[in-house]
Amino acid sequence: MMAYLQFVWAIARKDLLVEFRTHERLTAMGAFTVLVGLLFSFAIDTALVRTQDIAAALIWMTIIFGGLLGMGRTFRMEEQDGALSGILQSPIPLDALYLGKVLANFILLSMMVALVFVVFTAFFRLQFSGSVVALLGVVSLGVLGFVTLTTLFSAMASRSTMGESLLPVLVFPLLIPVVRFGTQATSRLYAGRPIAEVSGDLRLLAVFAIVFTIACAWLFRFVIEE
Amino acid sequence: MLLLRWSDGGVQSGGDVNQKQMQLGVGVLGALGVVSVLMLHWMVFFWVPTESTMGVVQRIFYIHVPAWWIAFLGFGLVALCSAVYLWLGDERLDRAAVAGAEAGMIFTTVGLLTGPLWGRVAWGTWWEWEPRLTLALILWFIYLGYFLVRKSTVNPEQGKRFAAVVGIIGVLDIPLIHISVTWFRSLHPEAVILSADNPMNLEASMGATIGVGLLAFTLIFASLFLARYLVSGYEHELDLRDAALPVEQGAEA
Repeated sequence: MMAYLQFVWAIARKDLLVEFRTHERLTAMGAFTVLVGLLFSFAIDTALVRTQDIAAALIWMTIIFGGLLGMGRTFRMEEQDGALSGILQSPIPLDALYLGKVLANFILLSMMVALVFVVFTAFFRLQFSGSVVALLGVVSLGVLGFVTLTTLFSAMASRSTMGESLLPVLVFPLLIPVVRFGTQATSRLYAGRPIAEVSGDLRLLAVFAIVFTIACAWLFRFVIEE
Repeated sequence: MLLLRWSDGGVQSGGDVNQKQMQLGVGVLGALGVVSVLMLHWMVFFWVPTESTMGVVQRIFYIHVPAWWIAFLGFGLVALCSAVYLWLGDERLDRAAVAGAEAGMIFTTVGLLTGPLWGRVAWGTWWEWEPRLTLALILWFIYLGYFLVRKSTVNPEQGKRFAAVVGIIGVLDIPLIHISVTWFRSLHPEAVILSADNPMNLEASMGATIGVGLLAFTLIFASLFLARYLVSGYEHELDLRDAALPVEQGAEA
Protein backbone atom coordinates (compact mmCIF):
# COMPACT_ATOMS: atom_id res chain seq x y z
CA MET A 1 0.00 0.00 0.00
CA MET A 2 2.78 2.41 0.98
CA ALA A 3 4.64 1.58 -2.24
CA TYR A 4 1.48 2.30 -4.24
CA LEU A 5 1.03 5.69 -2.55
CA GLN A 6 4.69 6.44 -3.23
CA PHE A 7 4.09 5.78 -6.93
CA VAL A 8 1.08 8.12 -6.90
CA TRP A 9 3.07 10.81 -5.13
CA ALA A 10 6.06 10.36 -7.46
CA ILE A 11 3.89 11.14 -10.49
CA ALA A 12 2.12 14.04 -8.79
CA ARG A 13 5.42 15.48 -7.52
CA LYS A 14 6.96 15.28 -11.00
CA ASP A 15 4.00 17.10 -12.57
CA LEU A 16 3.97 19.77 -9.86
CA LEU A 17 7.75 20.31 -10.06
CA VAL A 18 7.60 20.76 -13.82
CA GLU A 19 4.63 23.09 -13.48
CA PHE A 20 6.23 25.23 -10.77
CA ARG A 21 9.33 25.60 -12.94
CA THR A 22 7.63 26.36 -16.24
CA HIS A 23 4.38 27.98 -14.91
CA GLU A 24 2.75 27.09 -18.24
CA ARG A 25 -0.64 25.95 -17.06
CA LEU A 26 -0.77 28.11 -13.91
CA THR A 27 -0.10 31.26 -15.93
CA ALA A 28 -2.76 30.35 -18.50
CA MET A 29 -5.37 29.51 -15.86
CA GLY A 30 -4.52 32.49 -13.65
CA ALA A 31 -4.63 34.97 -16.53
CA PHE A 32 -7.88 33.41 -17.73
CA THR A 33 -9.46 33.83 -14.29
CA VAL A 34 -8.58 37.49 -13.93
CA LEU A 35 -9.51 38.31 -17.54
CA VAL A 36 -12.85 36.52 -17.30
CA GLY A 37 -13.58 38.48 -14.12
CA LEU A 38 -12.76 41.63 -16.07
CA LEU A 39 -15.01 40.63 -18.99
CA PHE A 40 -17.87 39.74 -16.65
CA SER A 41 -17.59 43.15 -15.03
CA PHE A 42 -18.25 44.74 -18.43
CA ALA A 43 -20.85 42.18 -19.47
CA ILE A 44 -23.06 42.44 -16.39
CA ASP A 45 -25.19 45.52 -15.87
CA THR A 46 -25.03 45.82 -12.10
CA ALA A 47 -27.86 48.38 -12.15
CA LEU A 48 -30.19 45.60 -13.30
CA VAL A 49 -28.67 42.43 -11.84
CA ARG A 50 -27.26 41.92 -8.36
CA THR A 51 -23.94 40.09 -8.84
CA GLN A 52 -24.44 38.52 -5.40
CA ASP A 53 -27.40 36.57 -6.86
CA ILE A 54 -25.47 35.17 -9.81
CA ALA A 55 -22.09 34.83 -8.08
CA ALA A 56 -22.25 31.03 -7.82
CA ALA A 57 -22.98 30.61 -11.53
CA LEU A 58 -20.12 32.96 -12.51
CA ILE A 59 -17.70 31.24 -10.14
CA TRP A 60 -18.49 27.72 -11.34
CA MET A 61 -18.47 28.60 -15.03
CA THR A 62 -15.05 30.23 -14.56
CA ILE A 63 -13.80 27.12 -12.74
CA ILE A 64 -15.09 24.84 -15.52
CA PHE A 65 -13.75 26.86 -18.46
CA GLY A 66 -10.47 27.88 -16.82
CA GLY A 67 -10.00 24.37 -15.46
CA LEU A 68 -10.51 22.84 -18.87
CA LEU A 69 -7.81 25.15 -20.22
CA GLY A 70 -5.27 23.76 -17.77
CA MET A 71 -6.45 20.15 -17.49
CA GLY A 72 -6.51 19.75 -21.27
CA ARG A 73 -2.73 19.99 -21.25
CA THR A 74 -2.20 17.26 -18.63
CA PHE A 75 -0.55 14.82 -21.04
CA ARG A 76 0.77 17.36 -23.56
CA MET A 77 4.32 17.40 -22.23
CA GLU A 78 4.66 13.60 -22.13
CA GLU A 79 3.19 13.19 -25.60
CA GLN A 80 5.50 15.77 -27.14
CA ASP A 81 8.77 14.47 -25.71
CA GLY A 82 7.90 10.78 -25.88
CA ALA A 83 8.20 10.68 -22.09
CA LEU A 84 4.98 8.71 -21.77
CA SER A 85 6.51 5.52 -23.14
CA GLY A 86 9.21 5.87 -20.48
CA ILE A 87 6.61 6.16 -17.73
CA LEU A 88 4.62 3.28 -19.19
CA GLN A 89 7.72 1.07 -19.09
CA SER A 90 8.39 1.93 -15.45
CA PRO A 91 6.94 -0.37 -12.75
CA ILE A 92 4.25 2.17 -11.87
CA PRO A 93 0.74 0.63 -12.12
CA LEU A 94 -1.44 2.46 -14.62
CA ASP A 95 -4.08 3.36 -12.04
CA ALA A 96 -1.36 4.86 -9.83
CA LEU A 97 -0.21 6.91 -12.82
CA TYR A 98 -3.76 8.15 -13.29
CA LEU A 99 -4.26 8.93 -9.59
CA GLY A 100 -0.93 10.80 -9.51
CA LYS A 101 -2.07 12.93 -12.45
CA VAL A 102 -5.41 13.53 -10.70
CA LEU A 103 -3.65 14.59 -7.49
CA ALA A 104 -1.39 17.05 -9.32
CA ASN A 105 -4.33 18.44 -11.29
CA PHE A 106 -6.40 18.74 -8.12
CA ILE A 107 -3.67 20.80 -6.41
CA LEU A 108 -3.18 23.04 -9.49
CA LEU A 109 -6.89 23.58 -9.99
CA SER A 110 -7.41 24.31 -6.28
CA MET A 111 -4.87 27.12 -6.62
CA MET A 112 -6.84 28.52 -9.55
CA VAL A 113 -10.11 28.20 -7.62
CA ALA A 114 -8.61 30.17 -4.71
CA LEU A 115 -7.75 32.91 -7.20
CA VAL A 116 -11.29 32.76 -8.66
CA PHE A 117 -12.78 33.50 -5.22
CA VAL A 118 -10.30 36.30 -4.52
CA VAL A 119 -10.86 37.94 -7.93
CA PHE A 120 -14.65 37.66 -7.89
CA THR A 121 -14.92 38.88 -4.29
CA ALA A 122 -12.74 41.88 -5.15
CA PHE A 123 -14.29 42.71 -8.54
CA PHE A 124 -17.92 42.22 -7.57
CA ARG A 125 -17.77 43.05 -3.83
CA LEU A 126 -19.37 39.71 -2.97
CA GLN A 127 -20.47 39.21 0.62
CA PHE A 128 -20.16 35.73 2.08
CA SER A 129 -22.14 34.96 5.22
CA GLY A 130 -22.43 31.16 5.09
CA SER A 131 -20.23 28.41 6.47
CA VAL A 132 -16.66 28.55 5.14
CA VAL A 133 -16.11 24.87 5.98
CA ALA A 134 -19.18 23.86 3.95
CA LEU A 135 -18.00 26.03 1.04
CA LEU A 136 -14.58 24.36 1.20
CA GLY A 137 -16.29 20.97 1.13
CA VAL A 138 -18.48 21.88 -1.85
CA VAL A 139 -15.59 23.32 -3.83
CA SER A 140 -13.15 20.49 -3.02
CA LEU A 141 -15.61 17.74 -3.93
CA GLY A 142 -16.75 19.57 -7.07
CA VAL A 143 -13.16 20.18 -8.17
CA LEU A 144 -12.24 16.53 -7.48
CA GLY A 145 -15.18 15.31 -9.59
CA PHE A 146 -14.22 17.71 -12.36
CA VAL A 147 -10.57 16.69 -12.27
CA THR A 148 -11.24 12.92 -12.32
CA LEU A 149 -13.22 13.18 -15.55
CA THR A 150 -11.11 15.79 -17.32
CA THR A 151 -7.84 13.96 -16.54
CA LEU A 152 -9.14 10.78 -18.19
CA PHE A 153 -10.55 12.63 -21.17
CA SER A 154 -7.46 14.81 -21.60
CA ALA A 155 -5.45 11.59 -22.02
CA MET A 156 -7.93 10.67 -24.75
CA ALA A 157 -7.87 14.12 -26.36
CA SER A 158 -4.07 14.31 -26.39
CA ARG A 159 -3.95 11.05 -28.41
CA SER A 160 -6.69 12.03 -30.83
CA THR A 161 -6.36 13.96 -34.06
CA MET A 162 -8.88 16.53 -32.82
CA GLY A 163 -6.70 17.40 -29.81
CA GLU A 164 -8.06 19.64 -27.08
CA SER A 165 -11.10 20.69 -29.14
CA LEU A 166 -12.53 17.24 -28.37
CA LEU A 167 -12.45 17.82 -24.62
CA PRO A 168 -15.47 20.15 -24.13
CA VAL A 169 -17.74 18.00 -26.33
CA LEU A 170 -16.91 14.93 -24.27
CA VAL A 171 -16.80 16.47 -20.83
CA PHE A 172 -19.55 19.12 -20.69
CA PRO A 173 -22.55 16.76 -20.88
CA LEU A 174 -20.98 14.54 -18.23
CA LEU A 175 -20.22 17.46 -15.90
CA ILE A 176 -23.86 18.49 -15.48
CA PRO A 177 -24.13 16.99 -11.97
CA VAL A 178 -21.03 18.93 -10.80
CA VAL A 179 -22.38 22.18 -12.24
CA ARG A 180 -25.87 21.59 -10.86
CA PHE A 181 -24.99 20.55 -7.29
CA GLY A 182 -21.94 22.83 -7.11
CA THR A 183 -23.77 25.99 -8.13
CA GLN A 184 -26.83 25.20 -6.05
CA ALA A 185 -24.81 24.62 -2.87
CA THR A 186 -22.55 27.62 -3.50
CA SER A 187 -25.43 30.01 -4.14
CA ARG A 188 -27.22 28.81 -1.00
CA LEU A 189 -24.07 29.35 1.06
CA TYR A 190 -23.64 32.82 -0.46
CA ALA A 191 -27.24 33.54 0.57
CA GLY A 192 -26.31 32.61 4.15
CA ARG A 193 -28.50 29.49 4.30
CA PRO A 194 -27.77 26.81 6.94
CA ILE A 195 -25.52 23.81 6.22
CA ALA A 196 -28.51 21.44 6.37
CA GLU A 197 -29.71 22.95 3.08
CA VAL A 198 -26.53 21.99 1.25
CA SER A 199 -25.89 18.58 2.80
CA GLY A 200 -27.79 16.84 -0.03
CA ASP A 201 -25.66 18.58 -2.65
CA LEU A 202 -22.50 17.73 -0.71
CA ARG A 203 -23.43 14.05 -0.60
CA LEU A 204 -24.18 13.93 -4.33
CA LEU A 205 -20.93 15.73 -5.17
CA ALA A 206 -19.12 13.16 -3.02
CA VAL A 207 -20.88 10.29 -4.83
CA PHE A 208 -19.88 11.79 -8.19
CA ALA A 209 -16.24 12.22 -7.11
CA ILE A 210 -15.97 8.70 -5.64
CA VAL A 211 -17.74 6.88 -8.50
CA PHE A 212 -15.67 8.57 -11.18
CA THR A 213 -12.35 8.33 -9.33
CA ILE A 214 -12.80 4.55 -9.15
CA ALA A 215 -14.29 4.12 -12.64
CA CYS A 216 -11.76 6.37 -14.38
CA ALA A 217 -8.80 4.80 -12.53
CA TRP A 218 -9.93 1.43 -13.91
CA LEU A 219 -10.75 2.70 -17.41
CA PHE A 220 -7.51 4.69 -17.73
CA ARG A 221 -5.55 1.58 -18.87
CA PHE A 222 -7.76 1.31 -21.98
CA VAL A 223 -7.06 4.92 -22.88
CA ILE A 224 -3.33 5.03 -22.29
CA GLU A 225 -2.22 1.69 -23.75
CA GLU A 226 -1.08 1.71 -27.37
CA MET B 1 -7.63 -16.88 -46.69
CA LEU B 2 -9.17 -18.10 -43.53
CA LEU B 3 -8.38 -14.70 -42.07
CA LEU B 4 -10.46 -12.97 -44.74
CA ARG B 5 -13.59 -14.79 -43.77
CA TRP B 6 -16.39 -12.71 -42.29
CA SER B 7 -16.45 -13.95 -38.72
CA ASP B 8 -13.02 -13.54 -37.33
CA GLY B 9 -13.95 -14.08 -33.72
CA GLY B 10 -13.48 -17.82 -33.56
CA VAL B 11 -16.33 -19.11 -35.75
CA GLN B 12 -14.61 -18.90 -39.13
CA SER B 13 -15.98 -22.16 -40.46
CA GLY B 14 -19.63 -21.11 -40.25
CA GLY B 15 -18.90 -17.47 -41.17
CA ASP B 16 -20.47 -17.28 -44.65
CA VAL B 17 -23.65 -19.02 -43.49
CA ASN B 18 -23.93 -16.50 -40.65
CA GLN B 19 -23.53 -13.65 -43.09
CA LYS B 20 -26.30 -14.92 -45.38
CA GLN B 21 -28.62 -15.50 -42.44
CA MET B 22 -27.98 -12.00 -41.23
CA GLN B 23 -28.65 -10.48 -44.65
CA LEU B 24 -31.93 -12.38 -44.72
CA GLY B 25 -32.66 -11.15 -41.19
CA VAL B 26 -32.08 -7.52 -42.21
CA GLY B 27 -34.53 -7.92 -45.12
CA VAL B 28 -37.23 -9.75 -43.21
CA LEU B 29 -37.08 -7.57 -40.11
CA GLY B 30 -36.91 -4.43 -42.25
CA ALA B 31 -39.93 -5.46 -44.34
CA LEU B 32 -41.94 -6.39 -41.25
CA GLY B 33 -40.84 -3.11 -39.66
CA VAL B 34 -41.95 -1.01 -42.63
CA VAL B 35 -45.33 -2.81 -42.78
CA SER B 36 -45.92 -2.29 -39.07
CA VAL B 37 -44.83 1.37 -39.25
CA LEU B 38 -47.36 1.92 -42.07
CA MET B 39 -50.00 0.14 -40.00
CA LEU B 40 -49.07 2.26 -36.97
CA HIS B 41 -49.61 5.43 -38.99
CA TRP B 42 -52.96 4.21 -40.26
CA MET B 43 -54.00 3.43 -36.68
CA VAL B 44 -52.72 6.79 -35.36
CA PHE B 45 -54.47 8.86 -38.05
CA PHE B 46 -57.66 6.94 -38.76
CA TRP B 47 -58.40 4.30 -36.16
CA VAL B 48 -57.56 5.27 -32.57
CA PRO B 49 -60.04 7.65 -30.86
CA THR B 50 -58.96 11.18 -29.92
CA GLU B 51 -57.90 11.52 -26.28
CA SER B 52 -60.41 13.62 -24.32
CA THR B 53 -58.19 16.11 -22.42
CA MET B 54 -55.17 16.68 -24.69
CA GLY B 55 -57.02 16.39 -27.98
CA VAL B 56 -55.57 15.47 -31.32
CA VAL B 57 -51.98 16.40 -30.38
CA GLN B 58 -51.85 13.41 -28.05
CA ARG B 59 -51.57 11.17 -31.14
CA ILE B 60 -47.85 11.99 -31.42
CA PHE B 61 -47.48 9.98 -28.22
CA TYR B 62 -47.76 6.73 -30.27
CA ILE B 63 -44.54 7.67 -32.05
CA HIS B 64 -42.80 9.54 -29.24
CA VAL B 65 -43.00 6.80 -26.58
CA PRO B 66 -41.75 3.92 -28.79
CA ALA B 67 -38.90 6.17 -30.02
CA TRP B 68 -37.72 6.64 -26.44
CA TRP B 69 -37.98 2.98 -25.65
CA ILE B 70 -35.60 2.28 -28.55
CA ALA B 71 -33.30 5.17 -27.62
CA PHE B 72 -32.81 3.72 -24.15
CA LEU B 73 -32.50 0.18 -25.50
CA GLY B 74 -29.74 1.43 -27.83
CA PHE B 75 -27.95 3.19 -24.98
CA GLY B 76 -28.18 0.09 -22.79
CA LEU B 77 -26.69 -2.03 -25.58
CA VAL B 78 -23.81 0.43 -26.06
CA ALA B 79 -22.90 0.28 -22.38
CA LEU B 80 -23.19 -3.49 -22.09
CA CYS B 81 -21.30 -4.26 -25.30
CA SER B 82 -18.64 -1.62 -24.54
CA ALA B 83 -17.93 -3.01 -21.07
CA VAL B 84 -17.68 -6.60 -22.32
CA TYR B 85 -15.61 -5.42 -25.32
CA LEU B 86 -13.03 -3.83 -23.02
CA TRP B 87 -13.02 -6.99 -20.94
CA LEU B 88 -12.79 -9.64 -23.71
CA GLY B 89 -11.49 -7.54 -26.62
CA ASP B 90 -13.83 -9.29 -29.09
CA GLU B 91 -14.27 -7.20 -32.25
CA ARG B 92 -17.89 -8.29 -32.68
CA LEU B 93 -18.88 -6.63 -29.41
CA ASP B 94 -17.49 -3.31 -30.63
CA ARG B 95 -19.51 -3.69 -33.83
CA ALA B 96 -22.63 -4.42 -31.81
CA ALA B 97 -21.95 -1.34 -29.61
CA VAL B 98 -21.57 0.97 -32.59
CA ALA B 99 -24.68 -0.50 -34.26
CA GLY B 100 -26.63 0.11 -31.04
CA ALA B 101 -25.28 3.66 -30.76
CA GLU B 102 -26.17 4.62 -34.34
CA ALA B 103 -29.70 3.22 -34.16
CA GLY B 104 -30.05 4.73 -30.67
CA MET B 105 -28.99 8.16 -31.92
CA ILE B 106 -31.58 8.07 -34.72
CA PHE B 107 -34.39 7.30 -32.28
CA THR B 108 -33.13 9.83 -29.72
CA THR B 109 -33.36 12.41 -32.51
CA VAL B 110 -36.91 11.25 -33.30
CA GLY B 111 -37.82 11.59 -29.62
CA LEU B 112 -36.20 15.03 -29.41
CA LEU B 113 -38.10 16.22 -32.50
CA THR B 114 -41.52 14.80 -31.58
CA GLY B 115 -41.34 16.04 -27.97
CA PRO B 116 -41.16 19.77 -28.81
CA LEU B 117 -43.84 19.38 -31.51
CA TRP B 118 -46.18 18.13 -28.81
CA GLY B 119 -44.87 20.67 -26.28
CA ARG B 120 -45.63 23.59 -28.60
CA VAL B 121 -49.33 22.74 -28.45
CA ALA B 122 -49.61 21.30 -24.95
CA TRP B 123 -47.24 23.60 -23.02
CA GLY B 124 -47.31 26.53 -25.45
CA THR B 125 -43.53 26.44 -25.86
CA TRP B 126 -41.07 24.60 -28.11
CA TRP B 127 -38.52 23.99 -25.44
CA GLU B 128 -38.83 23.74 -21.70
CA TRP B 129 -36.04 22.86 -19.25
CA GLU B 130 -38.02 19.92 -18.13
CA PRO B 131 -36.19 16.90 -16.63
CA ARG B 132 -36.92 14.24 -19.23
CA LEU B 133 -36.39 16.62 -22.14
CA THR B 134 -33.13 17.88 -20.63
CA LEU B 135 -31.93 14.35 -19.96
CA ALA B 136 -32.74 13.43 -23.57
CA LEU B 137 -30.68 16.31 -24.91
CA ILE B 138 -27.75 15.35 -22.69
CA LEU B 139 -27.98 11.72 -23.86
CA TRP B 140 -27.89 12.93 -27.46
CA PHE B 141 -24.66 14.82 -26.76
CA ILE B 142 -23.09 11.82 -25.03
CA TYR B 143 -23.86 9.77 -28.16
CA LEU B 144 -22.27 12.54 -30.24
CA GLY B 145 -19.10 12.32 -28.13
CA TYR B 146 -19.13 8.56 -28.64
CA PHE B 147 -19.04 8.95 -32.43
CA LEU B 148 -16.57 11.85 -32.45
CA VAL B 149 -14.03 10.01 -30.36
CA ARG B 150 -14.26 6.89 -32.54
CA LYS B 151 -13.30 8.85 -35.63
CA SER B 152 -10.63 10.98 -34.03
CA THR B 153 -7.71 8.59 -33.74
CA VAL B 154 -5.06 7.52 -36.22
CA ASN B 155 -5.18 3.96 -34.91
CA PRO B 156 -8.79 2.66 -35.27
CA GLU B 157 -8.33 0.13 -32.43
CA GLN B 158 -7.59 3.01 -30.08
CA GLY B 159 -10.72 4.83 -31.29
CA LYS B 160 -12.82 1.78 -30.47
CA ARG B 161 -11.42 1.58 -26.95
CA PHE B 162 -11.94 5.34 -26.43
CA ALA B 163 -15.54 5.04 -27.59
CA ALA B 164 -16.16 2.11 -25.25
CA VAL B 165 -14.80 4.19 -22.34
CA VAL B 166 -17.13 7.08 -23.26
CA GLY B 167 -20.07 4.66 -23.43
CA ILE B 168 -19.36 3.25 -19.96
CA ILE B 169 -18.75 6.65 -18.33
CA GLY B 170 -21.94 7.98 -19.96
CA VAL B 171 -24.07 5.22 -18.50
CA LEU B 172 -22.49 5.58 -15.04
CA ASP B 173 -23.31 9.29 -15.16
CA ILE B 174 -26.96 8.90 -16.18
CA PRO B 175 -28.36 8.33 -12.65
CA LEU B 176 -26.57 11.46 -11.37
CA ILE B 177 -27.60 13.51 -14.40
CA HIS B 178 -31.14 12.29 -13.81
CA ILE B 179 -31.05 13.48 -10.20
CA SER B 180 -29.56 16.83 -11.28
CA VAL B 181 -32.26 17.50 -13.84
CA THR B 182 -35.13 16.46 -11.57
CA TRP B 183 -34.36 19.42 -9.29
CA PHE B 184 -36.59 21.22 -11.76
CA ARG B 185 -40.32 20.82 -11.42
CA SER B 186 -41.46 18.30 -13.96
CA LEU B 187 -43.92 19.35 -16.66
CA HIS B 188 -43.72 16.02 -18.43
CA PRO B 189 -46.91 13.97 -18.39
CA GLU B 190 -46.68 11.15 -15.90
CA ALA B 191 -46.20 7.63 -17.17
CA VAL B 192 -49.75 6.58 -17.90
CA ILE B 193 -49.19 3.12 -19.32
CA LEU B 194 -47.39 1.55 -16.42
CA SER B 195 -48.45 3.77 -13.52
CA ALA B 196 -48.52 1.96 -10.20
CA ASP B 197 -52.09 2.85 -9.20
CA ASN B 198 -53.66 1.61 -12.36
CA PRO B 199 -51.41 -0.71 -14.29
CA MET B 200 -53.47 -0.72 -17.50
CA ASN B 201 -55.66 2.35 -17.55
CA LEU B 202 -55.45 2.96 -21.29
CA GLU B 203 -58.42 2.47 -23.56
CA ALA B 204 -57.99 -0.89 -25.36
CA SER B 205 -57.57 0.74 -28.79
CA MET B 206 -54.94 3.13 -27.45
CA GLY B 207 -53.13 0.23 -25.81
CA ALA B 208 -53.20 -1.66 -29.12
CA THR B 209 -51.82 1.36 -31.00
CA ILE B 210 -48.97 1.88 -28.58
CA GLY B 211 -48.30 -1.88 -28.73
CA VAL B 212 -48.05 -1.75 -32.52
CA GLY B 213 -45.81 1.32 -32.20
CA LEU B 214 -43.43 -0.50 -29.84
CA LEU B 215 -43.37 -3.55 -32.11
CA ALA B 216 -42.84 -1.48 -35.27
CA PHE B 217 -39.96 0.52 -33.82
CA THR B 218 -38.36 -2.57 -32.28
CA LEU B 219 -38.43 -4.33 -35.67
CA ILE B 220 -36.95 -1.30 -37.42
CA PHE B 221 -34.30 -1.04 -34.71
CA ALA B 222 -33.43 -4.75 -35.03
CA SER B 223 -33.12 -4.43 -38.80
CA LEU B 224 -30.96 -1.29 -38.60
CA PHE B 225 -28.87 -2.87 -35.87
CA LEU B 226 -28.20 -6.02 -37.91
CA ALA B 227 -27.54 -4.02 -41.09
CA ARG B 228 -25.01 -1.82 -39.32
CA TYR B 229 -23.41 -4.84 -37.70
CA LEU B 230 -23.04 -6.46 -41.12
CA VAL B 231 -21.55 -3.32 -42.68
CA SER B 232 -18.99 -3.10 -39.86
CA GLY B 233 -18.12 -6.70 -40.60
CA TYR B 234 -17.53 -5.87 -44.28
CA GLU B 235 -15.40 -2.88 -43.27
CA HIS B 236 -13.35 -5.09 -41.01
CA GLU B 237 -12.99 -7.67 -43.80
CA LEU B 238 -11.69 -4.95 -46.15
CA ASP B 239 -9.25 -3.70 -43.53
CA LEU B 240 -7.89 -7.21 -43.12
CA ARG B 241 -7.58 -7.59 -46.89
CA ASP B 242 -5.71 -4.27 -47.16
CA ALA B 243 -3.42 -5.28 -44.33
CA ALA B 244 -2.76 -8.67 -45.96
CA LEU B 245 -1.94 -7.26 -49.44
CA PRO B 246 1.62 -5.96 -48.96
CA VAL B 247 2.58 -9.21 -47.24
CA GLU B 248 1.30 -11.28 -50.18
CA GLN B 249 3.05 -9.05 -52.72
CA GLY B 250 6.23 -9.28 -50.69
CA ALA B 251 5.99 -13.06 -50.62
CA GLU B 252 5.53 -13.21 -54.41
CA ALA B 253 8.49 -10.93 -55.00
